[in-house]
Amino acid sequence: MSDPSEALASARAAADRILRVKRLNACLTPIKELRKSLVTQASAAHPSGVLYGMPVAVKDNICTLEFTTSCGSKILEGYRSPYEATAVAKLKAAGALIAGKTNCDEFGMGSSTEHSAYGRSLHPFDKARVPGGSSGGSAALVAAGAVPAALGSETGGSVRQPASLCGVVGIKPTYGRVSRYGLVAFGSSLDQIGVLGRSVHDAARVLSVISGRDPRDATCEDRDSLRLPNVPESLQGFVIGVPKEYFPQDLDPAVRRACDRAIRLLRELGAAVREVSLPHTPYAVATYYIIAPAEASSNLARYDGARYGPRFNGSADVRALYRTTRGEGFGPEVRRRVLVGTYVLSSGYYDAYYRKAQQMRALIAQDFRNAFDRGVDLLFTPTTPTPAFKAGEKLDDPVAMYLSDIFTVTANLAGLPAISLPIGRIKGLPIGGQLVGQAFLEDEMLEAAYALERAVPAGEEA
Amino acid sequence: MSVTHDEARKIAQLAELDVSEDALPLLAEQMSRILEYVAQINSVPASEGVKPFVPGPDAVRFRPDEVKPAPLAFGPAELAPAFRDGFFLVPKLGQFEDADA
Repeated sequence: MSDPSEALASARAAADRILRVKRLNACLTPIKELRKSLVTQASAAHPSGVLYGMPVAVKDNICTLEFTTSCGSKILEGYRSPYEATAVAKLKAAGALIAGKTNCDEFGMGSSTEHSAYGRSLHPFDKARVPGGSSGGSAALVAAGAVPAALGSETGGSVRQPASLCGVVGIKPTYGRVSRYGLVAFGSSLDQIGVLGRSVHDAARVLSVISGRDPRDATCEDRDSLRLPNVPESLQGFVIGVPKEYFPQDLDPAVRRACDRAIRLLRELGAAVREVSLPHTPYAVATYYIIAPAEASSNLARYDGARYGPRFNGSADVRALYRTTRGEGFGPEVRRRVLVGTYVLSSGYYDAYYRKAQQMRALIAQDFRNAFDRGVDLLFTPTTPTPAFKAGEKLDDPVAMYLSDIFTVTANLAGLPAISLPIGRIKGLPIGGQLVGQAFLEDEMLEAAYALERAVPAGEEA
Repeated sequence: MSVTHDEARKIAQLAELDVSEDALPLLAEQMSRILEYVAQINSVPASEGVKPFVPGPDAVRFRPDEVKPAPLAFGPAELAPAFRDGFFLVPKLGQFEDADA
């Protein structure tokens, strides 16, 4: 596309499609505002850009100038950022159109998009179920065909898990591949902006655009943008490890069947597949749910009603202002995590929890290094232990909700790239398979994903 | 690891978070459950020799120390709940009430 009239038509069509799936509560931007902005953006977009005219929705915890950034939270209701995320600026420079802000669990804390102050998002194929989270709005919009791609963010699997549950592709890049500037911080040593797309190619080309160095983020590596690989004829020469810890006895039978079929297809494509062990995997969720809340309790200290966002109980003294604003502004899951994070960092508990978790994180990262050092190029696992679960099913049991992330948190803890792609269905509900790559070798991971995507009958019952 | 109501109240104070007395029992119970679950990492033998893993660049890169205009589309006056003459306005500091903390 290089014709301004086509970009304009693309903008209008995107607004129409988003309106048609309004019932999903996936897009938080009012449709009138969205339509107007899309038309303005299309008129100003760069026709030479590689994403010219492509509508890309953006998770509500990534700062944009066009729309509010509420992070799915009452404490940032109506907040307009005075700057935009580098990833968003890069998208616009490539000619993409920012197609509104997507619903998410508050500050990215959740696995179902039920923890949003703006209501839950619905699964696109079964309204009684969740789309996953925290980037559930982004996943639902892509799965419903409203946009070809959307930005999400990951701290423990918040792109891959909803991608898996909604039947789309989700990529979490290597930590440091994409700038975090303008991504509202949750767990800074884990957070990364990721991409959800209809296909590996759609997601990969958006990732390629947003990747690369950024002097505004000291944790962003000084590297060129990701170069997209070609679609390979075969996977001859690839060694793919299958970690046995990701296939427990109680794994959902349909997920196991879909994974077995995907592994068979990887072999048929020419890859050598071998079983490997990542022995510290069983401790990953526990490790994650110490480190992430600890970092969150620190990052979220800035929300106090003094500098931005709404203020609750403004007439009290300043301490009461802080406490009331935070008490009323944060939802139940954020409150829980801030308290758990404060607890594990407090004097007397720091060594038993936080310090130990840091050691466990190192052991988990070492597990991956050991597998890769033994000649494995990539790992294949299920993305989630089950297909999409029912709304409300895990709301009263935080630990049960946390276990939804059991196969995804390890890549965040180890800073590695990973991709989820559809590998089958059970009773119409999508099942996702995950490839985990070596740091900064997204190109290899994408090659294998391209090949598997072409081979796998993703719409077929497992 | 069982968190008492008093401990939950104390942690909420440290976190500057208002928690109503009605909400305290459920919160303490959920915190206990989460902390019990995560404490399983202590069953792994001591790993003192392990070098901490920190993702990202090996060394912090510094930017040139140059004065540049703030890259903001608008200033804090438009963001703050209360702002005057370049200052964020907040209610006055009351008595420190942490004697009970």
